[in-house]
Amino acid sequence: MPTPVAEAPNVTDDGLYLDGIPHDRFAEMRRTPGLMWHPYRDGGFWAVARHAEVKEVSRTPEVFSSAVGHTNLWDLEADALEARRGLIDTDAPDHTRIRRLVASGFTPKNIKAWTDTVGELTDELLDDAEAAGTVDWVDALAAPLPIRVILALLGVPVEDADHLVELSNFLVEGTSEQQSLPPDAFGNTTELRLLPFNSPASHALFEYGEALAARKRAEPADDIVTTLVRAEADGERLTGSEFRNLFHLLVFAGNETTRTALTHGAMALADHPEQWQRVLDGDVTLEQATEEVLRWATPVLHMRRTTTTATELAGTRIGAGEKVVVWYASANRDETAFDDPFTFDVGRTDNPHFAFGGGGPHFCLGAFLARLEIQVVLGAMRDRGLRLRRTGEPVRVPSNFVHGVLSVDMELAR
Amino acid sequence: MSEDVVRMQVNPETCIAGGQCELLAPDVFEIDDDEVIAVVQGDGRLDRKVALEVIDRCPSGAISIVEPDEAAGGG
Ligand code: HEM
Ligand code: SF4
Repeated sequence: MPTPVAEAPNVTDDGLYLDGIPHDRFAEMRRTPGLMWHPYRDGGFWAVARHAEVKEVSRTPEVFSSAVGHTNLWDLEADALEARRGLIDTDAPDHTRIRRLVASGFTPKNIKAWTDTVGELTDELLDDAEAAGTVDWVDALAAPLPIRVILALLGVPVEDADHLVELSNFLVEGTSEQQSLPPDAFGNTTELRLLPFNSPASHALFEYGEALAARKRAEPADDIVTTLVRAEADGERLTGSEFRNLFHLLVFAGNETTRTALTHGAMALADHPEQWQRVLDGDVTLEQATEEVLRWATPVLHMRRTTTTATELAGTRIGAGEKVVVWYASANRDETAFDDPFTFDVGRTDNPHFAFGGGGPHFCLGAFLARLEIQVVLGAMRDRGLRLRRTGEPVRVPSNFVHGVLSVDMELAR
Repeated sequence: MSEDVVRMQVNPETCIAGGQCELLAPDVFEIDDDEVIAVVQGDGRLDRKVALEVIDRCPSGAISIVEPDEAAGGG
């Protein structure tokens, strides 16, 4: 680490996030010229807090690699990294090959075709929530909607959905310190450190994915798992481990993130009724409101890259093999990128937020799907003339990585 | 070609087929379902202002403006 560099205020202590994102600390990083060095465990990382540099790192994958080390703050041992390697922690050309195999299912046109399905699921959940009057918003809507939608896209039969919802909930739990499953749950015999989230539920999900693939080879259908197994036939093979990890990623990646966006969105709209009124009155489009919900929520707080060579960023020298962490949570409140970044304003017309990443090859695969889900929920609430009122405080996930909310009580009334 | 209209091209090696371009300029970009990359429709002409926006939003840096010498004979 070259000198002199300023040491960053601590933003990795999970406990900080029980009170929300430590925005004042990120503001200090944005104000400080150059990059700050953040100590972490027995090493540290360069903290990238400004919008412009988050963008630069994200779009320069040759220098800022996703395949070296890990995309989380800590390093994985080499065998664990190999066992888990999928899309997120791969560089070109492997990344391009895998990403294209799956991308065709997620283009704007193909996602649009799911609008009615998302609408029906949303209506069912909102009917029940309205009948109850006061609900835990996470339980009632934000958690069940995204998992049901992704299972439908993947082609998981309805009768298996509950099993997968359960597995997915165990995975969410696996992102925190407490795990309620014994290591041999679901017949797991793999060492936990080789499994995503160190969770035996990952083993069960792998097994399920393989059984489903076998089924789709025999009976192809119009869904994403069929696309993946069909690609096999065309010679563009995914390895067994790539398929397992991709299936796992698809079930998980869109789940907790979209849940978080729907929850922070509902909280913000309840706390700023004048903003919701603009949506009700049709003064702003659902698309505009959705982008602001995404910026405000920033469900994924950061991602990590590792330098492949010595380089320079914001005038700071960075050595080869050093960790660089891009903080979307900070970029999305950058004063130089947004007018009044701390104002929740559903009418923004220029909203270059980085909720889905700063661009570059790893830009969120599910961005259009997540947007569709949020737009459909806001649209359904608008058409019903629903208003939200908070009746309790949110219980937050203590995590420096996901901006999660475990529960928040809401009253729904017309 | 007027000053304010440019022609677009997509680098098939780097495009990740996310479709940001199709969303912003559906008349010019379309994701080809077989090749799974963005392909330029017709002569790929786009208003310069929109073009710069699309280039900025393309996550993989795959979109660029065809420079006049590359376009010789085409426009
Ligand atoms: C509001 C909801 C969501 C948010 C905020 C979100 C956020 C992100 C972020 C920040 C990244 C990393 C970008 C980077 O490294 O540059 C990412 C990648 C990814 N997301 Fe999402 N995501 C959401 C929903 C979804 C959904 C619904 C899916 C559906 C399958 C999904 C699938 C993925 C995948 C597969 C990747 C890895 C892409 C790659 O490495 O090529 N996400 N997402
Ligand atoms: S936005 Fe860029 S990466 Fe995405 S489909 Fe268009 S050209 Fe390809």
